[in-house]
Amino acid sequence: MIEKLWFLIPEIILFIGVCVVSIMGLSHHRTWRSAVPGATIVFLIAAALATPFLYTPEKMEAAELLMPRVGWYFKVIVGFVSVLLALMCIGLIDRRYEAEVKAGRASFDPMRVNRGEFFIFFLLSVMGVNLICSANDLIWLFLALELVSLPTYVMVAMSRPSRKAQEAAVKYFFLGAMATGVFLYGFALLYGSTGTIVLTEMRDVFAAQVAEEGGVNLLGIVGMIVSLLGVAYKIAAAPMHFYVADVYEGAASAVSAFLAFVPKAAGFLGMILLLGTMGWAGHAGEGSTGLPMPIVTTLWMIAAITMTLGNVGALLQTSVKRMLAYSSVAHSGYMVIGLIAGPGLGINGVLFYLTAYGIMNTAAFAVLAGLERKKAEIETVDDLAGLRFKHPSMAIVMAISAASLLGVPPLLGFMGKLYIFVGGVETGHIPLVIIAGLNSAISAGYYLYLIGLPILSQPSPQAETITTGEARWPRLAGVIGAVLIIVLPVFTNYLYDATERSTEGYLDEQARQIGATDADEPDEPPDPALATRE
Amino acid sequence: MYTFAFDLQSYAPIGILIIMALVFGAFNLIATHLLGPTRHGEEKEGTYESGMEPIGSARKRFNIRFYILAMTFLVFDVEIVFLYPWAVTFAKLVPQSPESAMFLGRISFFIGTSIIAYIYAWRKGVFRWD
Repeated sequence: MIEKLWFLIPEIILFIGVCVVSIMGLSHHRTWRSAVPGATIVFLIAAALATPFLYTPEKMEAAELLMPRVGWYFKVIVGFVSVLLALMCIGLIDRRYEAEVKAGRASFDPMRVNRGEFFIFFLLSVMGVNLICSANDLIWLFLALELVSLPTYVMVAMSRPSRKAQEAAVKYFFLGAMATGVFLYGFALLYGSTGTIVLTEMRDVFAAQVAEEGGVNLLGIVGMIVSLLGVAYKIAAAPMHFYVADVYEGAASAVSAFLAFVPKAAGFLGMILLLGTMGWAGHAGEGSTGLPMPIVTTLWMIAAITMTLGNVGALLQTSVKRMLAYSSVAHSGYMVIGLIAGPGLGINGVLFYLTAYGIMNTAAFAVLAGLERKKAEIETVDDLAGLRFKHPSMAIVMAISAASLLGVPPLLGFMGKLYIFVGGVETGHIPLVIIAGLNSAISAGYYLYLIGLPILSQPSPQAETITTGEARWPRLAGVIGAVLIIVLPVFTNYLYDATERSTEGYLDEQARQIGATDADEPDEPPDPALATRE
Repeated sequence: MYTFAFDLQSYAPIGILIIMALVFGAFNLIATHLLGPTRHGEEKEGTYESGMEPIGSARKRFNIRFYILAMTFLVFDVEIVFLYPWAVTFAKLVPQSPESAMFLGRISFFIGTSIIAYIYAWRKGVFRWD
């Protein structure tokens, strides 16, 4: 248990952050209150920086987890992308009230300030993603997934003082509760099929089922499919994508960016862990990946439908936020290909793509969060027309992030797509990769629009009245994101190596499992000490 | 060949508790009848329903403070529920072993988080009633 606590130190740091921020947010002094986002960022960075020191090889060997090393990559990446997201949220909450207090028109009333609470929820949600990394049983996985989602429901409602945000929050909450119910049913069936809730034991039970009965039993397959469908809500994939456009449109841009990254990262990690119990290799499925055929088929359909619906949906939008929402759906579809492809290029590609998507999507939303018209958010495509003339840096950020989302070669998004598509081709899912390629072509329809509109076209009368927001931090987040999009491809190797190292133990276990299920030849002694002694 | 060896003594506390409850209830009813002042009236003889009008629409507005206070109460309520099993287990551990230190550390952390929640509620003005 102590070993498990060791890996939870980043979460504990974030939790201390929650405590500090909650008290700071209610201070009578305005300077303390305005320091809340800064404190949030400090704790996020502290948690991310502590991670590499905690995940030492010996500790990771000792950890009995399905993916012992994934936290090493995930906690750092999620931490740093969250810093960008936190930058975007500066000046979002309580702006009008704080201005009144500053001008002396209102006195400080602790019931009316919400900034502290907003950043508490922010930190708690990030903490939930970190917790999933150490999940080794279904209860832990469930609680961590809920810890990711529950704060986001409130964040949506808090983000804007408008009815639209309230409506979005209610929709998000009820549909989220439904999705939670669905994956909980799935978990119950998985437990019924295997008799254990511990993921590593579940993997052994499934392996035994395959060895004895020639396949995973039906209850397990149904349970897995239902669980995956429930978690699909978190990643905004096909049967559960319907909330995305309304919720992203209703929430403030900064919160939409948060929704597009943090729950998605959590959902994909949860799916990887769940699928890992069945394993991609060593099972006698007809598919080349080794997952049972019904599950591969389900994922295949999810991927194809998600991509197509997302891209076609985005083509029809006039609101940039809805467009980016549908693009978020489409990107989930691409990433599901990685899940089907399995360990190696597939899973590493998903981890890589999550990083890339997090950065480029945050940059795109940062443009919307950094600009405003008459104290209201900009939303429609017309607002962006001719942005170059008044706000050249934002126009360039928008163009770069849209180009990266499209997957224009030297940029980060291209690298992500490359790994996933190659992973798909290598495991023989060529039709799916062709569908993905066609979808990329469709997506050019609206991404090119987003690239060209701010740079090439003349400003519309609407766009003339756009001003920069009061806080410069969202724009800074956008610029940092754009720089990362250009610079990180140079370091793709390092990043990919990191994803590879973070899935290492996972692959070994898969290999061990193949050895166990084949069971023809006795394995060579794995102990290197024995080998050298002879 | 089962012998139903009832150890009646182990049920004694429950029996005592039932008797105490009956005596307490009966005593209160009788004592208020004998000692209390007797007044009559519509309000006085109406059904008591937590300070609400017992007859009429149930869809009434409640002061939000009730809810906030109830939620704060829940924090401590749940905490006590967790403390009971902890206390029972803790008593069985070897004193001053690493395991018991771990147990103590965990519950201290848990209580610490509730104290933070309490400070937060206090600063937020939950307990102010004006």
